[in-house]
Formats: sequence, structure tokens, C-alpha cells
Amino acid sequence: MSLKKYLGPLSSDNPILVQTLGVCSALAVTAQLKPALVMALSVTVVCAFSNLIISLIRNTIPPRIRIIVQLLIVSFWVILVDQVLQAYVYEISKLLSVFVGLIITNCIIMGRLEAFALSHKPWPSFMDGLMNGLGYGLVLIVVAFFRELLGSGTLWNIPVVPHAWYEAGYLNNGLMILPPMALILVGTIIWIKNSKTRRAK
Amino acid sequence: MREIVDIFVRSVFIDNMVFAYFLGMCSYLAVSKNVKTAAGLGFAVCFVLAVTVPINYLIDKYLLQPGALSWLGRGFANVDLSYLSLVVFIAVIAGIVQLLEMVMERHLPALYAALGIFLPLIAVNCAILGGSLFMQERNFPTVIHSFSYAIGSGIGWLLAIVAFAAIRERLKYSKIPEPLQGNGIAYIITGLLGMGFMAFLGI
Amino acid sequence: MKNFSNRYIFLYVSGLVLLIAVTLTLVSLGLKPRREANVEREKMRQILKAAGYESNKDEVPNLSALEFQELAPEHYSIRCADGSLGEVVRVQGKGLWGPIWGYVALSSDRTTIKGVAFSHKSETPGLGAKITDDTFAKQFAGKKLYDADGLFVSVRVTPKGKEGQLSKENRVDAISGATITSRGVDKMLYDGLKEK
Repeated sequence: MSLKKYLGPLSSDNPILVQTLGVCSALAVTAQLKPALVMALSVTVVCAFSNLIISLIRNTIPPRIRIIVQLLIVSFWVILVDQVLQAYVYEISKLLSVFVGLIITNCIIMGRLEAFALSHKPWPSFMDGLMNGLGYGLVLIVVAFFRELLGSGTLWNIPVVPHAWYEAGYLNNGLMILPPMALILVGTIIWIKNSKTRRAK
Repeated sequence: MREIVDIFVRSVFIDNMVFAYFLGMCSYLAVSKNVKTAAGLGFAVCFVLAVTVPINYLIDKYLLQPGALSWLGRGFANVDLSYLSLVVFIAVIAGIVQLLEMVMERHLPALYAALGIFLPLIAVNCAILGGSLFMQERNFPTVIHSFSYAIGSGIGWLLAIVAFAAIRERLKYSKIPEPLQGNGIAYIITGLLGMGFMAFLGI
Repeated sequence: MKNFSNRYIFLYVSGLVLLIAVTLTLVSLGLKPRREANVEREKMRQILKAAGYESNKDEVPNLSALEFQELAPEHYSIRCADGSLGEVVRVQGKGLWGPIWGYVALSSDRTTIKGVAFSHKSETPGLGAKITDDTFAKQFAGKKLYDADGLFVSVRVTPKGKEGQLSKENRVDAISGATITSRGVDKMLYDGLKEK
């Protein structure tokens, strides 16, 4: 079983860019790099372990109530992650606020559970969840990188735009911090990605 | 009273679920190919929000919050169950959606025919859970405030999806660079619509 | 596909819910001390920020060197960054969406604000949430609570261009676009500092 098989979600089959799943909650946390990274990690953890558990018990789940069972398992992991964040990275958990909770309804996770974990063995399911989470995180981080750089002139809260630029009249683009720009950035990323894949063909 | 109207207006225009918090984006992008279905889903979201948010409000206030159980007696005053709120909220939402579906099917067949197909989609719509979570975070003083918030958010969502679907219908006839077609342009339009909505900030 | 009896489904869900609830309760209890310590540290950092100290995340400053004392609940005495002794009081109020609160450092005669540190739970990012920004908070340093006639006026938060009768020493600029949050801060300061 080669690793390559699982790499799809990172590029050609990216959950946000291609399958349009899971844009829901998390774009709101991409105004800065730090919360975006924590969010990306949280989603990856939840996605991988929910996939693992569902796959382990997949034969015992009565099909009629599978959505409820899935929701229960996912919310279990989300609460766990939330508690750990509050205990160890309090500052960031305050920034993420309700968006950690909203991981539950992140369509990527439910989507992977339905499409993959219910019909595959534990290990492949775990890898599938991991890779989808990472592919999702990748987009978050790229978006956050540009929003923080252009919007606040910082990266990871460290100023990177030289002071001299500001004196020469450079201004941070306040628009970048506002929510609509996140969507426009994702649209642009899709655009760039599509034109690349087309050229490759 | 003024406060309640204020919350309503704010949640429709300014803190719009879609444009300010990206909630319910998945179904928003998937079910916006034409205005009629979009409106159907929009109404269903409105409806479910209006039912679930007040119920979750009461549950939160009398069962989960720190000190919420004090009506059971002194000994319970320090119990804090708020870490369970996620599970409880999502269970309530899933349960109510199921219930609504059954009740509607039996007693309101016309409404069921219109909204029924959307109901299963809604249990996993982030806008619904988001509504409950924001309600919890914002600490509304009474259940009426939370109801006004729920209706406002629902209408805001409805407005967003209908506007978007209408644009998308027109979009079929315009020339878009090929790599941008489909999702790419959909995101960008949503962003532009969001900027339009930001003009309401002054209210 | 296997068939499952209703009994099985019922037991299955109950078992699952029970298992999840028990595990989460254990985890929550286990992490509780850490969470509470975080909240406490956050509070100290705010008090120090109001008193004019640069916040440093990892370093816990030596409180006894700062003559830090709790005079009453949420009312402290501390040697401020400018070297003089001051008092820090907690104020709380309501923003647009939820609670807002903060710590205000006053001069020892309680007439002048030395610094403030505000916090909020759920104000709109980029608008109301700006009350935590330094640019907003720095405005307060040196403002007076009493007018020229010695009457209490608090420090009012009013929009630019709507100063009215207020002198420069009794007001700061509101955040544009966040009227209700600004009004909340205004009321919070008025109510919180009035009897102090």
C-alpha cells in the first residue's frame, strides 16, 4: 500500500478547492496565520480519528441511525480538542471561539465518514481522514498567509513589512481582514489551480 | 423592545451568517443553481433555526450553564455541564429535524412537498449549529432575544442564498475565463456580495 | 445489509452516549485546573497592562516587587509602570453581542486614568473587537474623570465631531462603525468608575 494513493486530497482532489466541502466555518479564522494553523490541526485530528473510530465500529452501526452515531463520534472528538485547546493554548482558543465547535458540522468530516470510513478498513480510513484534513489545512494556511501579510503587514504576529515602506506611504490593506476577502482569495486560488491543471493536461 | 429589533436587523444584515461568518457555505454553494430551490432551502433553514435556537437556549440556560442546575437544589449550584453543550445541541437539532419531518409529512403535506427534501440536508448545515453556538456565546437575556436572533439569521441566510442563486442564473449566459468557471467564480461572487452587505455596517 | 432490532439500536445509542459522556467528564475534570490557571493568568495580564506594563506572555512578573495588593474583591493597588502608586478596578458592561469588561488603572487620588485594558467575549471582529486594540486603549491614558468644576463626568466615548461640551480631557474617540460597542464602553466606564 503506497503512500501516494492517499495524497490526492492535498492537490488534485482537494476538499475545499475541488469538492467544495467544509468551507463553512473555518474561513472565518483565516485573518491571521496562528489561529488558522491551530484550526487546520484541529480539523485534521478530528477528521483522522473520527474516521478511525467509525471504521472500527462500522459493522456494528445500525444503518438507520448512522448519521446520529457519526455526529456523536465527531462531537466527541471536537469537544476533546476544544478542551485541550482551552487548557494549553488559551489565547488561541479564545480567538477561535465557536468555530472549534463548528468543526462538527464541517462537511469534510461528515463527507469522509459517509464516503470512506463506513466502507473501508481502519488504517486506510485513518490515512484518508488525515490527508483530507491536511489538504483542507493547506488551503486555510495559504489564505491566512496572504490575509495576514497584506492585511496587517505581519506574519505569525511578527511585523515583516519594513518600517521604511510605511514611511514611503505603504498602507496595510484593511479590506483583507474583512471576511469577503477570504472568499475572493479562495476563488483566486481555485482559478490559479485550474489553469495549472489544464496546462498540465 | 428596541434591543430585540436591533438584534434582528443586525443579524439579517451586518452579522450575516453567510457573509460575515461563512456559515452554511456547503449547502449555499451546492443548492444555489436556481432561485426556486434556493428559496426552498432558505425557508427550511429559517424555520429550523427559529425552532432549534430557542429550544437550545432554554436547555443551555436551565441545564448546561455553570450554575444552571441550581433550581434542583443548592447542591447542584456548582455543576457546570457546559462542556457537553456541543453534543446536546447537535442531538437536539438532529432530533428536531427528524421530528419536523415526521410531523410535516403527516399534517402539512403541502409544506412537506416544498421543504421536505431539504430537511435531511439541514441537520448537518453549519448555519443551524452555528446559530445555537452563537446564541450561547452571546448570552441573550431572554428567550425572546434568542428567537429574534434566530429569525434574523434565518432571513439573512435566505436573502443571501436567493440573491446568489439569482446571480448564478444570469451567470450562465456570461463569458467567464474557463479556469474560473464553476466554483471559482462562485466564491468570488460571494465575496463581492459580502462587500455589498458591508455597506450596511453604518446602520 | 444486516437487520438490527429496535432493542439493539436503543441499547447501542444509549451505550455510546454514556461512554462519550463519561469520557468527556473525566477529561474535563482532569484539565480543569489548567483551564482555571489560564483564566487567572489572563486576568493578571490585563491588570498589568492597565497599569502600563508591556505584556509578556511567558514571564510571570514579580508581584510583590510591584506592591500588588488586593484591597477589595476586584479592586487592587499596584505600583504602575510610571513609578507612582495606583489603583486598578474592574469594570464590566454590555457590548453589542455579549459581555465586555476591563481593568482601569487610576491615579491614587482617583481622578486620572493611567491606563486601561478591555476585553470582550463576542464583538464583531474588525469593528467592536477593536476595543482590545492598543490604538483604542492608549487614548485613555491621562484622561480625567472630573471636569473643570470638579464634577464627575467619567471619560466619555463619543464619535469624532460630536464632542458637545466635553473638554479634551474628558473624552476619547469612539470606534467608527461600532456604535453600540462604543456606547457600551462609555456606559461601562461611567457606571464602574462613578462610586470609586
